[in-house]
Amino acid sequence: MPAPTSALLPRLHALVPRGRVFSSPAQLAGYASDALGYKSYTPDAVVLPADAEELAAFMQGARSLGVPVILRGAGTSLSGGPVAAQGGVVVHTSSLKAIRSISPDGFWCEVECGVPLNTLDAALKPHGLFYPPDPSSGPVCTLGGNVATNAGGAHCFRYGVTSNYVLGVEALLLDGSLHRFGGPAGGRGHWREDWKRFMIGSEGTLAAFTRFWLRLLPLPEKVWTFRATYPDLRSIEAAIHGLVAHSAYPAAIEMLDPRAVTIVENSPMAVGLPRDSFLLLTEIDGPAPLVDARVEPIAEILRSTGSNDVAFSDQDHLRQKLWKARKAAGGLLGQISPDFLVQDAVIPKRALADILQFLYDEADAASIPAVNLFHAGDGNLHPNFLFDSRKPGDLEKVELISARLMQRVLDAGGTLSGEHGIGNDKAAYMPLVFGPDSLRLQWAVPAAFNPAHQLNPLKVLTARRFTP
Amino acid sequence: MPTDTPSAASAPNPAAAFSNCTHCGFCLAACPTYQLSGDENNSPRGRLRLWSEEAAGRIPEDPWTDFYTAECIGCLACESACPANVPYGRLFEHTRQAHVEAGRFSPHPLLRLAAAAVRHPRLLNLALLPARILRWTGLPLHRLLFRGSPPVLQSTASYARALMERHRPTGPRVALLTGCLMEGLFREINAATVRVLIENNVQVFIPESQGCCGAFHEHTGLGNTASLHEANRRAFQPLDVDAVLSNSAGCGYALARSLAPDTPARDVLSFLGDLRPIQRARPSSNARLYVDLPCHLVHGQKEPGIPASVLDATGYQWELAPNARDCCGSGGVYNIQEPENARTILASKSAFLNTAQGDPVILGTSNHVCMMQWHSAATSGLVHRPYLVRHILQLLDPLSPSDT
Repeated sequence: MPAPTSALLPRLHALVPRGRVFSSPAQLAGYASDALGYKSYTPDAVVLPADAEELAAFMQGARSLGVPVILRGAGTSLSGGPVAAQGGVVVHTSSLKAIRSISPDGFWCEVECGVPLNTLDAALKPHGLFYPPDPSSGPVCTLGGNVATNAGGAHCFRYGVTSNYVLGVEALLLDGSLHRFGGPAGGRGHWREDWKRFMIGSEGTLAAFTRFWLRLLPLPEKVWTFRATYPDLRSIEAAIHGLVAHSAYPAAIEMLDPRAVTIVENSPMAVGLPRDSFLLLTEIDGPAPLVDARVEPIAEILRSTGSNDVAFSDQDHLRQKLWKARKAAGGLLGQISPDFLVQDAVIPKRALADILQFLYDEADAASIPAVNLFHAGDGNLHPNFLFDSRKPGDLEKVELISARLMQRVLDAGGTLSGEHGIGNDKAAYMPLVFGPDSLRLQWAVPAAFNPAHQLNPLKVLTARRFTP
Repeated sequence: MPTDTPSAASAPNPAAAFSNCTHCGFCLAACPTYQLSGDENNSPRGRLRLWSEEAAGRIPEDPWTDFYTAECIGCLACESACPANVPYGRLFEHTRQAHVEAGRFSPHPLLRLAAAAVRHPRLLNLALLPARILRWTGLPLHRLLFRGSPPVLQSTASYARALMERHRPTGPRVALLTGCLMEGLFREINAATVRVLIENNVQVFIPESQGCCGAFHEHTGLGNTASLHEANRRAFQPLDVDAVLSNSAGCGYALARSLAPDTPARDVLSFLGDLRPIQRARPSSNARLYVDLPCHLVHGQKEPGIPASVLDATGYQWELAPNARDCCGSGGVYNIQEPENARTILASKSAFLNTAQGDPVILGTSNHVCMMQWHSAATSGLVHRPYLVRHILQLLDPLSPSDT
């Protein structure tokens, strides 16, 4: 039996004497959800350690608390990740926000887990450096959350996702041990460098992260942004394939379907696009002479595949205008619907038109609006199902469509998640992808680091329940 | 207490509007109190969750809900960050008013006094006469009050009539909201506003029947703004002007809402931006102007900023202050209600002044309460070198000496 909250609180206060411990209903309410806002799980308590040392002290004493421990960054996860699905203590790492060092010569930095992504990029810019992963929650989301979900973003088509940029992870286990996997030198030392890969994408099931060493790149000298509209799915699909195969190798290939374009055009954010069009955005970057020479070939791909509306620019303010519809669309969903569920299944690009049509048919049949805006170059779909969780039956319909879509994605050779993580939202689909042998190993890894599954239970695998 | 508006507690429950919030968390990065506390509940997303959970009966009335609601500055930066256009400011005002009525939030006694006083502008102007005189002397009346040279007896309305008579401008017709504190204490800014407008050939009309815009009551949750709004509609609407202007971003935000949709209300600097105002010459000046943007200008009125043509016209070399779109901690009344938080926020905002280039260094803004807050960076020991705090209109003023 878990300890009653009254017994828990004095122990929490003892573990984080300088930090904060929350237990009142109005202090717990803010921590009941992540960005999958309609699913709520009220924790028994929340702690905010004052700094990295106090987080370490907390982790050393946490096993004896006898309740689940859930690490949380900014709570922008879209998969029901940093929430107390089995109750327990949410550990909010907002105080660990120091950028400890930036090495402009070594192209790496050392950051604490609670540093917001865009805060890091702002600090890197004066050095002419950047950190490529760019999830759209960048102003808010933390690097701890990024590493925990192996976050992606629009420009990860060429640059790759978070795992390509983590040189090292410092991790605290519930047995009180402190581990370092890798580091700024890229792995030479008395640690198992490759084990950092266990940590990246582990969704809080293995350890608490305190700090990371991250690989940086020089800022591109020049960027060109292209925007094109297409009359149908087949022609935009051809354009995407043309871009993927071209030696110019765009940094990002993004797509909006006509339903997303219509929402933008019906809003104050309208940019004058034809409402029934598919929208493609792509970007090339690099040394000026190199990218300038590639502008016309890219424009030609966009035109020859069926767009008679290709706009492009290398001027920052014009580039922002080209991006505007893409950036605005996500938020506009919140204006037209009380709730939305976004999936992030990844499919082979050849299956794009078929899967999208399947998803429209399913959603239309259930009268659930479905809108797509996604990382087309990666085949990383983001179907948004718009619904009202207060309306009886709506959520069940959306979950049924999600399940059928997942099966179809898997049949096409795809997988469950590109960047949002599994959380508790997609945990039930795991057996659709992985057979018993794989699941046995996936169970064994958290069991080795965290034998009682006290860290973030009921995430990733539905049966991962904490048993004190 | 007058009962000319339905009380917040009896008004329709706004819980339906909370559901616009998709809980994405974009507001966290914009929220000064989240940045300060690192506490999710002390953010717009957190507060909305607390209010909606309480409205739905899922959590009881809790002193912590009162605490987190009281912590909010009302800077509205979250509205600019919100992709779902949640009308946070309205919901916050509604909740604060309900909390005041239910005794869950207690406005500072000074603010209660002021809220009552601003309902009687003539009396207020008389009562503040000694303060206007003392501002000439620079005697420290209050940590937020700064030195200046307000006309002591002549009202801005009477001054504007005299200047109109003398110069007979022929351009656009505007009315000016002279405000409560602005007219009672900082009248020199109103006088400068009139001079700048008339110099730029704008016809200025100042109805004496105008009153408080209601911003003060909205900030404090002391409610009952309907009669104030109605009085201003009656004062301004018959004037047949192109716009009603305000030289205080916070008052302008409240005024625009009370006059909409019949009468356009605008910030005086945005209005001047369209006219390309007359340029002040500052040959050989080493002064440097750092411009801070009031929250109620950029997040409330949703103006992109203070027009560059206006800032250029000051004649000074200017740049935006670091994090110019972030709150300085003033929050209308926040620096009186929550002085410690306000000071911490100001400490990080004002740190650049200690090393800023320029002789003199001028901090320019367009809201008198922000000016008071910026002034307090000196009186409360946050900035150790001399600097000037000026309303941008004072820097456009044909009568202002160079470098002030």
